[in-house]
Amino acid sequence: MKSISKILMVITVLLSAVNSFAQIKNAKTETVKIYGNCEMCKTTIEKAGNLKNVATVEWNKDTKMATLKYDDKKTNQDEILKRIALAGYDSEKFLAPDDVYAKLSDCCQYKRELKPVAKTKDAGMDMKNEHANHNQSDMAQKNTTETQNVPQLKTVFENYFSVKDALVKTDAGISSAKAAELVKAIKAVEMTKLSTKEHNVWMEVMKDLTANAEKIATTKDVAKQRETFALLSKNMYELTKVSKQEAPVYYLHCPMYNNGKGANWLSKEEVVKNPYYGSKMLTCGSVQETIK
Amino acid sequence: MNIPRNITIRLLQAVFILLCSQSLFAQKVVRYDLYVKDTLVNYADKEKRAIAVNGQIPMPTLTFTEGDTAEIVVHNQLKESTSLHWHGVFLPNKEDGVPWLTQKPIKAGTTYTYRFPIIQHGTHWYHSHSGLQEQIGMYGSFIMKKKDDDKTFRKGIDDLPTVPIILSEWTNLNPDNINRMLHNANDWSAIKKNATQSYAEAIREGHFKTKLTNEWKRMLAMDVSDVYYDKILINGNHTTDLKTVDGKTLKAGDKVRLRVSNGGASSYFWLRYAGGKITVVANDGNDVEPVEVDRLIIAVSETYDIVVIIPDDGVAYEFLATTEDRTQSASYFVGNGIKQLISPLPKLKYFEGMKMMNDMMKMDGNLDDMGMKMSLNQMDMNVVMYPEITGDSNQKEDHSQHNMNMDNDPNRYNANALGEIKTLNYTMLQSPYNTTLPKDAPVRELKFTLTGNMNRYVWSMDNKILSEVDKIPVKKGEILRITIHNNSMMRHPMHLHGFDFRVINGKGENSPLKNVLDIMPMETDTIEFLANEEGDWFFHCHILYHMMGGMNRVFAVDDYQNPYLPNKKQAYNKLQRESNMPHFMAQNDFATNGNDGDAMVQNARWSLGTEWRLGYNDMHGYEVETHLGRYIGKTQWLMPFIGFDWRYRKMGMDEHETNLFGQKNEKDTRRAFSLGFMYTLPMLVNFQAEVYHDGIVRLSLMREDIPISKRLRGGFMVNTDMEYMADLKYIINKNIGIRTHYDSDMGFGVGLALNY
Repeated sequence: MKSISKILMVITVLLSAVNSFAQIKNAKTETVKIYGNCEMCKTTIEKAGNLKNVATVEWNKDTKMATLKYDDKKTNQDEILKRIALAGYDSEKFLAPDDVYAKLSDCCQYKRELKPVAKTKDAGMDMKNEHANHNQSDMAQKNTTETQNVPQLKTVFENYFSVKDALVKTDAGISSAKAAELVKAIKAVEMTKLSTKEHNVWMEVMKDLTANAEKIATTKDVAKQRETFALLSKNMYELTKVSKQEAPVYYLHCPMYNNGKGANWLSKEEVVKNPYYGSKMLTCGSVQETIK
Repeated sequence: MNIPRNITIRLLQAVFILLCSQSLFAQKVVRYDLYVKDTLVNYADKEKRAIAVNGQIPMPTLTFTEGDTAEIVVHNQLKESTSLHWHGVFLPNKEDGVPWLTQKPIKAGTTYTYRFPIIQHGTHWYHSHSGLQEQIGMYGSFIMKKKDDDKTFRKGIDDLPTVPIILSEWTNLNPDNINRMLHNANDWSAIKKNATQSYAEAIREGHFKTKLTNEWKRMLAMDVSDVYYDKILINGNHTTDLKTVDGKTLKAGDKVRLRVSNGGASSYFWLRYAGGKITVVANDGNDVEPVEVDRLIIAVSETYDIVVIIPDDGVAYEFLATTEDRTQSASYFVGNGIKQLISPLPKLKYFEGMKMMNDMMKMDGNLDDMGMKMSLNQMDMNVVMYPEITGDSNQKEDHSQHNMNMDNDPNRYNANALGEIKTLNYTMLQSPYNTTLPKDAPVRELKFTLTGNMNRYVWSMDNKILSEVDKIPVKKGEILRITIHNNSMMRHPMHLHGFDFRVINGKGENSPLKNVLDIMPMETDTIEFLANEEGDWFFHCHILYHMMGGMNRVFAVDDYQNPYLPNKKQAYNKLQRESNMPHFMAQNDFATNGNDGDAMVQNARWSLGTEWRLGYNDMHGYEVETHLGRYIGKTQWLMPFIGFDWRYRKMGMDEHETNLFGQKNEKDTRRAFSLGFMYTLPMLVNFQAEVYHDGIVRLSLMREDIPISKRLRGGFMVNTDMEYMADLKYIINKNIGIRTHYDSDMGFGVGLALNY
């Protein structure tokens, strides 16, 4: 009897020893700042950072500080922070890819203080950088082509095109994010700087435009977004006709949408890329009008 | 008195002439000494053998200016022979660096000098052309600069800060082993890549029928690449920060020219940049009109010169090279500050790819392009697998009322029409110069069909490997116009030694010049070049494991007398032999009821194999069957063989075996010769028929390695001797599995299956 209990004890000790070994070896602990908002961010950040027996991450949503504990023979701070950035969260070392950030849910759209373009926004600059902020492919252009004297409505158009592009990709997340930017852009328009013709149309469409853009921004259902986008495109078309365009804008028509009632959209390119169907029927549609 | 004086005068004369000629050419000799040595590296958590040159991997970047003379001295400190090939460089044939074609191998412990004038400019690279040395470190950049007064000097491009970049992959496996595993259809790579495409996975993704059709058409799971790599390297590092170029700190608005060479043995890489568009300014060392793209794929052994811009200060932008199978990548951060990442490419939709392959594959093993004239990478069939272009696989049709079918869309494989992402293809390349060939030169048309067999990993041209063909004789001064069609299931980067060829891509007089052309399955492309340099020039697929399998040809321009190879015939035989080396495999299951196993030595056509079943007692018996066969045809579904069977089995009194045809075998010991054939039926079932010298006939059906789930394989065998067997195997690693089987002779057994 005694020997059995002894054996049991040995086994217990052994097991507990194994248990403690299963934890992170060569542990190193560090505290770093990771940008984020809410509980949902916490889950994403920690899940991205954790690696079984190698690294654990604990993030505090109030202080934005994360405690990294890792095996410094197997990994390093950079690897952990890179994984977290690839999940959408900026830190002092890495900036998340813009498309990943854009796909974070609304409550997680934290303020990206570390992005260089964001600084100009803080300084109360105009909105035109807003879209470049979130669209990396436009970044290169920003430095070269954009100038101070941009027509007031340009940002509105650019954001509209971004929404359209996102719908072409059938990406509800980005569509919604871009639509939110469109709302901001609409609000930022200084009406006094518009030409008389633009001003008249602007007064007519502004309310609908804002309402529709907000509607797209608030839903994550791509079908609903597309319904609203058809209305939004009508408003935009009115605006396009009176506003001066740097490059020709194409007014395109898809005859099949909405049970054959059809719908229109605007694009900077002549090639048909249908925002109502995306890849399901990308090339459905034709150019109705070229607005110069 | 007279004589010595004469000598002095002569000497003086000679010296004078020598000096004169030197100054006449004003040649600058640029000499590099390369010490090739075995080394140990640790790229992926394990210490492994590699080859370093001058103590480094990749090999040092060699830089020249057009007009220089290159003198490169190779000190071979390895225990094996080596060679160096100057990829894309115009030179006399004897300096080209292909062992047994243009020189003898550089023997272990010897020194060898390559010397040739530099008569071109551009981004090129160099690598070993011996065995699989290229896989373990023998690659490096070879940069030839334009002269400052070059008429083609492009302001804003040729004067930018420039960095040579060489991409490569690292595997902890010995490359010889990889080569063997590929030939033996070992799917360990697929398991590592999570790309087994088993039945369980197919059912989970709603693609059971796709998988069934795929096996019905006798295809093994296919991937965009075959080898699993542990690490991707850019200039020998997984992650690199580029903060300064030539001592100057990079800042916003700076442009940087990256001279990118793909020194990978078998990987294509996607190149993308977090700071915006990529401007392509040269390809394979030849200038092209600048073209802006979002991304490009660089084929094995291609080079691209690209320009990237740094948009902002305080940020380093990620330049990411991702393997085509998207399992691995390497980063290069351009700029100073916080690192702006680019999102990784999403996982491939393998079953969409399988479905596409099913559509293209005809029952006879040929590919059908279904009327699409495919060429120059414009239509990428693989886009069906790219979520970033064709959407996530879990997205369902949200407008079912439409009956318009994507299947009829002419653009359904055109990445640039489908998505917002602009991908480079060969029709977008245009030379800034007139590249037309002389009008009066005679033109000779040649056609090649690229052929292959995924299951046995045999790659060939016109279904002939190098060891089955002679050199192709070409007259000096002829124009060769070559049309290449890819009838195999994989893409092939075809490389020509010694020349640049024009790619007929619709740009007319300004057709681009290249020396590697990637040809995707079902594509047909035309290239042409003037054969104005005599010698034996290699033309081959640059995927190392395809080249080693014999996917090669030699163009023999005139009858070149190579001083290094006095016996050309014998040398060519050696070259042929090296491109069809036999590979060995063996496996054995140490089970509770006996040993089951087989061993095989095979090359591209022949197979010598022996199979055994050894029981632990006389009742169960011992059985060995040996077959020598030859695979027939392109598909290699048919293999006639001769065989010898030996078996011993203690049978009880009056006990005898009767087969399905009523033929009896009463002897305990049996030795028999046989003639027969094996044929691969749909569903990859092997049908085997053989007749023994004593008239006994045996037919059998067999299937091995049915991919049930990621790591679980099933198999069965049944024959007319009323024997049957079924097994299940769980794969633990590349050499070990746990196998359970039921055998009609030996009963139920469990064991450890080892394979080599």
